Amino acid sequence: MRQSSFLRDCLLALIAFAILAAIPYFFPGRGVTDFLVRLAAFAIFATSLNLLVGYGGMESFGHGLFFGLGCYSFALILKHFPQVTIPGAFVLTILMSVLVGAVVGAICVRLNETYFAFLTLAFQMLLHSLIIAWTPITGGDNGLTGYSRPAFLGIRLDNYYHVYLFSSALLCLCLLAMYQIVQSPFGYTLRMIRDNASRAVFLGIDVWRMRLVAFVIAGAFGAVGGVVMSLFVSGAFPDFAFWTISGEAIFMIMLGGLTAFLGPLVGAAIFLTLNDVVTKLGSTVKGLTGVPNLDFYIEKIASSYGLILGSIILLFALGLKKGLLDFLNDAWADRKETSTAEATKAAAPARAPGE
Amino acid sequence: MTKLTRPKSTRRTILKGAGAAIATGVAGFPFISRAQNNPIKIGMVTIASGRVAMLGSSSANGANFEFEKFNAAGGLGGRPIELIVRDSKGKPEESARLARELVNSDGCIGILDADSSAAAFAIQEVARDLGMLTIHMGETSSLTADPKIRTPSAFRSARQSIHDSVAAGAYAGKLAKEKGLNKWMGCSPDYAYGRDSNALFFELLKHFHKDAEVIGESWPKLFQADYTEQLTKILQAKPQAIYTCHWGGDLTAFIDQSNIYNLFAQMQVFAINVADYAIVTAVKNLPKGIHSGSRYLATFPKTDANAKWSADYRARFKEYPLNWSWENATAAKFITEAIKKTNSADPKQLIQAITGMTIESPFGVNGTITMRAEDNTIVDYATGWGQTISADPFVPDVASVDWKLINELEIDWKKRNKYL
Amino acid sequence: MDLAALASCLTATSCLVTQTTSGFIIGMLLFLVAAGVSLIFGVLKVVNFAHGSFYMLGAYFAYTAYVLTGNYFVAVVAGGVGVGIFGYLFERVLVSRVYGSAVLMQLLVCYGVILILDDVVKIVWGAEFKSFGMPDMFQQLPILFAGGVVPVFYLFLIIVTLIIAGLLGLLITKTRYGKIVRAAAVNPSMVSALGINTGLVYGSVFVLGGLLAGLAGGLAAPVRSLTAGMGLSVVVESFIVTVIGGMGSVAGALAGSLLIGLVRSFGSIGFPLFTEGLMFLLMAVVLVVKPSGLFGREA
Repeated sequence: MRQSSFLRDCLLALIAFAILAAIPYFFPGRGVTDFLVRLAAFAIFATSLNLLVGYGGMESFGHGLFFGLGCYSFALILKHFPQVTIPGAFVLTILMSVLVGAVVGAICVRLNETYFAFLTLAFQMLLHSLIIAWTPITGGDNGLTGYSRPAFLGIRLDNYYHVYLFSSALLCLCLLAMYQIVQSPFGYTLRMIRDNASRAVFLGIDVWRMRLVAFVIAGAFGAVGGVVMSLFVSGAFPDFAFWTISGEAIFMIMLGGLTAFLGPLVGAAIFLTLNDVVTKLGSTVKGLTGVPNLDFYIEKIASSYGLILGSIILLFALGLKKGLLDFLNDAWADRKETSTAEATKAAAPARAPGE
Repeated sequence: MTKLTRPKSTRRTILKGAGAAIATGVAGFPFISRAQNNPIKIGMVTIASGRVAMLGSSSANGANFEFEKFNAAGGLGGRPIELIVRDSKGKPEESARLARELVNSDGCIGILDADSSAAAFAIQEVARDLGMLTIHMGETSSLTADPKIRTPSAFRSARQSIHDSVAAGAYAGKLAKEKGLNKWMGCSPDYAYGRDSNALFFELLKHFHKDAEVIGESWPKLFQADYTEQLTKILQAKPQAIYTCHWGGDLTAFIDQSNIYNLFAQMQVFAINVADYAIVTAVKNLPKGIHSGSRYLATFPKTDANAKWSADYRARFKEYPLNWSWENATAAKFITEAIKKTNSADPKQLIQAITGMTIESPFGVNGTITMRAEDNTIVDYATGWGQTISADPFVPDVASVDWKLINELEIDWKKRNKYL
Repeated sequence: MDLAALASCLTATSCLVTQTTSGFIIGMLLFLVAAGVSLIFGVLKVVNFAHGSFYMLGAYFAYTAYVLTGNYFVAVVAGGVGVGIFGYLFERVLVSRVYGSAVLMQLLVCYGVILILDDVVKIVWGAEFKSFGMPDMFQQLPILFAGGVVPVFYLFLIIVTLIIAGLLGLLITKTRYGKIVRAAAVNPSMVSALGINTGLVYGSVFVLGGLLAGLAGGLAAPVRSLTAGMGLSVVVESFIVTVIGGMGSVAGALAGSLLIGLVRSFGSIGFPLFTEGLMFLLMAVVLVVKPSGLFGREA
């Protein structure tokens, strides 16, 4: 049973990758592929954060630590050690994030709620301070650019199309892997801890250790998101370790929904689309009404990115109160329940196996 | 406290999710558009929100001021230039993406980069990748000086730190010799520009005045609101002079806070970024006698052309021109002159034309500014130092620095950094 | 690192006096913002990340009042009262809808408000930074005291903020209102059962927090530059203070603020390149050793 579902998941991931790989043939410009590379970076990152938030009930406000760490260690290794290959740098980056995740996690996971959120934030800002202060190595706030990308297995990451395929492959692989994790016994243990930690303790589960493992795993996947971002910008910038990146990931989860596995992916897609549309709004409304004074104010407001994005955030947070996929799922479930109200009640538990 | 409901994801929701993700993605691509024949589009990537929103408005105005003149004169056979401005929000990955999108999808023939220094490096990678016509307004020296970072299609139309530092070193060195200023301190924001500028200043100060000694340094953060601890540290150390490269709002706060400690009466203050209208008109009690590098002043260079440019600009936008205004206006002028010269809007031809080009300019020391061919950065722009007074013209006498000297010392500096 | 300089400063009275007062100045203004953050969290369990924007609004309200009246005291009061009213609206219209939600949902609402307010300030007051200018009465030479230097304006700020801190302490510990607020923090349903309108209590806490942040913005305006986004650095520091002092404790906020002030003033001498890192490190240590903060009750 488990095995066949695993194979099916693999097949789905493969199909998804095939669709992604075909996209450049339909959209030859870089607009669509650029969007998808960024989506891959943020979707991996947001989904990894959701392992903590949605499944573990651990509200981290400093997950950007790993995004920045992944981005910087990948770029730093390739810049300062040209003899290291891309797979080597990738593996070293993951090891680095596991190491940092283990140390930071060991300190953080025993705290709950607000304190956990703030302590993770503190560690992220420590990394940010370090990047800014350690200018000779990290390039400080100018960022780090111009690292070498030697070819491996016929993959040339200095070629844009290869970067796109590589990012798409990572996206499918990471989502597949994370899905297996949340469906595994470990994933269900995590949910139990989230719902009732004392019951978990009573059942002999080492809560601290489970949380730590989740923290480390989420960190490692978060670092992969950073690697993709680093490939996209051909460098690393301190912005990727700033607290706003954590804020945005949270926003993505909230937009897409935190109970559906693909919620963060959808959220990342919505967020990036919103960002891109709102950013160019100012120049698209130029001369909208033809009345100069009125146009001046329309343009001024339309080019106010924060004002518009902030309003959308408030609408989502206060209006919908949950992410899009969660909203759709619940609406779907409600409809189904009302339409099958007379049907046997036994069908209901079968719909949600193992929960 | 958490009110998270249980995940009930099934395979169907996953498919739905993937569908939704792709749908929002595809629906959200407004950028599949054809480049039109009319008008000639130029993109600008800048910061129009948050603390440095002024960068965006003054940069766009500076460039538009020049393009409007070009359009009024008939454009390129009737084709006007249109400037498309995008806000990067100060995020380098956005800057890179926007630059690429403006060229690839919006049909811009080139990019004006009026963004942060980190963004300049990110945009430089895009310029290298696409070979796109790019003019940076960033000051970080290595952007064009370092042959590993420089790329043929990207230019800089801005002050370069090393040029300004030579001017600063020559001025401060001369004064230090006259007044016997030997004990110095630095107080600059702790980030790449701050450290770079601080190190270059003292390097060149010592070149011109061997006895100068740095007795201490204090490093506030960028955008730090409160400089009390740095100021008291300086007061403790009692240097004869200090150097600071604070800019923008940080600089006005630094001046206001220094004032109540009566700092300016106790030592000579060399602040490279004071002589810009954004600063001198904002500070209510501008102290007399701060030594400052010229950023932009209507009275420097003291020519009719510059005075007229400044007056016209103020009449057009109802605000003072800033350092960013002249830099962007100059970048825009390089583009319009190249269009006129080649009679085309083909980026390849324009890049070729701009390389090594000399334009007439109110901001040049001899009425011209040249885009130096060997490293794609402008030279012969006005740079000098003077002392503040509290009212207009704010820095009445600016001592100009000979560009021969700047070029000489720049070569030494390039050799030291193995750029040559 | 420059430990020798730190050692020589700690042994010289003039340096000790100057740096200690400088730590007090930094700390006391921080306290006004942090006290609001702490109160709001203590009573409402809401993490008000938008508190920095309250501070920013205070400074801008004060700026406008100062331009209109030319009177610094009117300006400060305008900043405080204006933001107090804003705080009430903020609580009633937005925050009251997310009580009891996940911490992240509250952060999201605050994030949205921060983005909006920064742009509103830009649209209303302009993109350029504003400088308030020092009021005439404070344009005096600094006072020399035991070899140290203390500006008159800062002396005034320390005294005023100490008075505000004292009044706040009295309000919370000695008045009926304070008792209700403290009771609401522990058991809101009991307070409600006693016939007290909890909505009003919650709103009033935001008024109080907004008043304090607005006063801080107005008081500090003469030595700050006013820009959109000026609240960010303040809010990050005031959260560090709140965590160190213990969320919900006014005394803790005071102690935490002074501690951060002193860390910064002496840190700038001993570790000039790592003062910010030092603050985060201090917060991390406190969280590890005593998660509830120096003055916080154990959860």
